[in-house]
Formats: sequence, structure tokens, C-alpha cells
Amino acid sequence: MSVLTAVGERGLATWRAVRRSIFRVGWPRTDKDRAAAMISSVVLHVHPAKVQRHSLRASYTLGLGLISFYLFGVLIVTGVVLMLYYTPHPPDAYRSMKDLQFVVTFGLVLRNMHRWAAHAMVFVVFLHMCRVFFTGGYKGPRQFNWVVGVGLLLLTLGLSFTGYLLPWDQLAFWAITVGSNIAGYAPWLGAEVKYLLLGGNVIGAGALLRFYVLHCIILPLLAIMLVAVHFYRVRKDGLSAPPLPEPPPVEEMVAGRFPPSTRSYGLMALTDRPAQPVVEAEPDDEVLAWPHLLYRELLLLLVVLVVLHAVALLFNAPLEEIADPTRTPNPAKAPWYFLGLQELVSYSAFVGGVLVPTLMVLVLVLIPYLDPAPRGVGVWFAPERSWANRVFAALASVTILVTLVGMFFRGPNWAWVWPWTQ
Amino acid sequence: MNDSRAGRGQDRNRDVDETRRRLLFSTGVTTVVLGAVGFLGATARFLSPNVLYEPPSRAPIGSPDEFPPGTVTFLPDHRLFLFNNPAGFYAISSVCTHLGCNVRHLAGEGFACPCHGSLFDANGQVIHGPAPQPLSWFALSLSPRGELVVDTRQIVQPEYRFRV
Repeated sequence: MSVLTAVGERGLATWRAVRRSIFRVGWPRTDKDRAAAMISSVVLHVHPAKVQRHSLRASYTLGLGLISFYLFGVLIVTGVVLMLYYTPHPPDAYRSMKDLQFVVTFGLVLRNMHRWAAHAMVFVVFLHMCRVFFTGGYKGPRQFNWVVGVGLLLLTLGLSFTGYLLPWDQLAFWAITVGSNIAGYAPWLGAEVKYLLLGGNVIGAGALLRFYVLHCIILPLLAIMLVAVHFYRVRKDGLSAPPLPEPPPVEEMVAGRFPPSTRSYGLMALTDRPAQPVVEAEPDDEVLAWPHLLYRELLLLLVVLVVLHAVALLFNAPLEEIADPTRTPNPAKAPWYFLGLQELVSYSAFVGGVLVPTLMVLVLVLIPYLDPAPRGVGVWFAPERSWANRVFAALASVTILVTLVGMFFRGPNWAWVWPWTQ
Repeated sequence: MNDSRAGRGQDRNRDVDETRRRLLFSTGVTTVVLGAVGFLGATARFLSPNVLYEPPSRAPIGSPDEFPPGTVTFLPDHRLFLFNNPAGFYAISSVCTHLGCNVRHLAGEGFACPCHGSLFDANGQVIHGPAPQPLSWFALSLSPRGELVVDTRQIVQPEYRFRV
């Protein structure tokens, strides 16, 4: 009996030692332990130990950045498992779609989730950009993070576009035909870019393989790296811009010296960061990230997953007949987020396909440097920024409008139709 | 007095050292960067395929007898329309010059593109729409076996007619 007890105790001690080797802190029961857990865990320490109450308000951030991130996570997980059944070569590519739809267990649901999450991500990333603009979140010190965000928007579009060809159905083939020919209109290097993108002159096996590699390896890796930078900057600059009552006093930052304000925790103390927001914040403006932030994040994750599952179970991702280069569907439409461009392209390929998008990206990148005045930060539609907000709202509305026109008001031969007459 | 002069000499030596180091360092860095850029630039050529496994640009399309006089035939694999009228054969591309959709042939009128509504006349000239250029005309020839051969690399003028 005593031998059994001894063995049991020894086993228990080993188990505890193993557990401690993985999780240094046990399940935290006090605020202090929770703060320590946030800092000592590689997964959790993307959070600060404390967050401003302000940045937790759902009505302020709408959780859009986090939703984009969750969708990206869903896309990686579903995408990797879809790769197990996918052959990036025509016509097998189309057959693997049919297999996923009719043969593979839950293949249909996983493909649906991948497809709808991709559409949702384009939409949510766009909304996130609007949210950050309307709350002045791109102002100092977050200028560069806005630029990183623009990069992520472009990567999201690129990921969605390259994924669009992979099913190798009529929808895929002709959307990519239109899209890649738009690239050909770029001055000087357009034809070469198109040749490199397609790995040839026509959309065939070479193009499919290139899109596959871009979609599954190159663009996701770039996106993961940019997301890391984006999050790092968010973490260092504070979760979201707090309202600034007055222009911040500029503190001289000396390399190698810690910032004078050290209301910081663990790792945070070792980095140069703008001292101002922390100095300004009242102590009771901050709450512990565990549970206040963490539980909100988990709740939002749950909501996103439930909604995605519901949509994936109710609606099937479109799959038309196999790609046929000899037969153009009428009308042939690009993916919906490029229909605004296709609408412009129907007036002039160069203006719509090259000039307008280039200018838009350029303006987006330059926004934080064109409008640096630190006013109206941290609140929606600050009156001090009404002019900037109006311009941005006008541009965003025009983008949405032409996209809607391309989606619903264009019929055969790209002629104008009323959606309710069809 | 002596000491301070010696000190100044040391300072100057240190400055010279510093300058020399900076020069060596920047030369080294520039060399490495230029080398890396050169290597990457040369390797970028890798991305451009040298052999294309695409349908050949010159291909037989069948015996002239298969296309009776006065007919228009759409050859989907070659993406062109073959016309046989009294003056001879001619081939017009079905690839819209705007964004690469296949145009439709409207008998007696010309061609219409389903993607963005470009309209072309019977000779493939743009009537209206976003298409920036007329539809291409391809050169035809006869193979030793008596088959019509189209060469989609060889663009010809709309006066072109091929008599068998």
C-alpha cells in the first residue's frame, strides 16, 4: 500500500514538474498572477498586462481588426486542409473541386467556409480601414502602421484574387482573364508583369501553378509577416488611439535610455515608445487585460466561428462548369471587389485599370503624412477633422457605388440593367 | 604643454582612424549590397519561362473544303473566325483587344464583346466601346498536305485575302 502511495506521489510530482516546464505560472487566480501570465506566455504576451478602458469599447473599434485576424486564421486552417485534396493542374483542379463537393467528408463545408471567409475578409479589412480613418487612428505615432495596413489590404486582395483561379471553373477562368489583362495595361512593364504572372501568354497550366504558389505560399507568408509587424506596432503604440485632449508634449527620446514614464510591465519597459499616452492616462482608466480584453476576444472569436459555420452550412460556394477558354460567359465578371475597377475599365482600360487604382493606393499610403495634425484622434467623426472625414467618406462611397453598379446593374454585354427586372 | 600636444595628436589619429573605418565600412556594405542586388536581378530572369507549353501559334485548321464559300466558322481552339468569301479566305481573332474575352459574331453587323460591350464592324474595326485596338487579322497559308494553316503571331492588314 505504502509502495502504491509512494509511486502515486512520485507520479504526481513528475506530472507537476512537466506541467511547470510548459506553463511556468499555474492557472492564475489573482490579478497579479493574471498580469504575470500575460507577460510570461508567448501566446498571450501579444497583449499588454493592462489596457485602456477606452480601447475596449465595442462601439469604438467594432472589433474589425480582430475579426479580420480571425478570418485570416480560419482561411489558413481551412486552406491548408483543402490543399490535401487539391491538384494545381487543369483539368484535375476542377475534379478536385467536385471531389471536395461530393466525395470528401465535410469537404463541402470546409470549402464553403474558405470561400465565404475570404469574401468576408476583403469586406471586413475595408471596414477596418474606414474605422481607423474615421477615428483618426492613423495619426502619430501610428502613421507607419497605417501604411502597413494598406499593405495588408493589398495582400488581402491579392490572396483573394489568386485563390479565385484555383477552382478552374468558368467563373474563375474569365474573372482572371479580365483581371490579368488589366495588369497588361500598366505602362512600360505591364506586358512583362502579365507574362510573369501567367508564366506565359495564356491562362493555362503554368498560370494555375503560379497562382497556386502565390496563393498558398508567397502571399500568406508576406501577410503573416506584415500582420506580425502590424500587431507589434499596435502593441507598442497602444491598442487603439486614445482621445488626446491637447497636443502632446514632445519628449526627447535618447537611444538606450528608458522612457521617463515607466508605468510599464515586464517586456514593455525595454522598448522605446512614446511616453505620452501612458503619462496622460489616469490610473483608473486602465483595466487588466485578463479578463477584460481576453474574454472579449474569445467571445468575438466564438461569434465569428458560429456565424461562419452558419453561412457555410446554409450557402454553397459557387462552382460553375469547367473552364472553357473558347466560351466567354455573358457577362463575364471579375471578383466582386474588383467590379468597381471593371466598371471603370469599361470606360477606359488604362484609366480604370491602372491610373485610378495606382492613385488610390498612393493616396492611401500618403494619408498619414498629408494630414499629420494631431487633432480629433480617438473619437468617431471628430468635428476638427470633418473635412478629412468628408473627403474620405466621398471616396469610399464612390468606390462602393461603382462596385455595386458592376455587381447588380450590369447585364449581358455589360449593358445597363435594373436588378429587379431580371 | 607637452601632454596636451600629444593629446591633440592622439585625437587626430583617432579621427583619421574613424574616417578610415567609416570609408572601409561603407565600401564593404556598398559592395555587398550591389552584389546581392546584382545576383537577385540576374536570378529574377528565372521567373520568366523559356519554353511555353501552350498551343502553337502556327497551326493547321483543316482543309479549305471544310469551309464552304460564304460561310463564317468560329474555331474555338484557335480563338478566331475563319471567313470564306468570294475574294478569298481571311481569319479574324475572336480575342477582344480590351481584356481578352471572346467576341461574338453578329451576321452582317460585326462583332460584339460580352464583357464590356465593345462593338467592332465586319472588318474588326472598333465602332465603339472601351476596346483600344481593332481585332487582329491573322496570316493564312497552305501546308504541303493542302491544309489551311493560321499563324497567330503574324498580323496582317484587313485587305488581306488568301486564295487557295
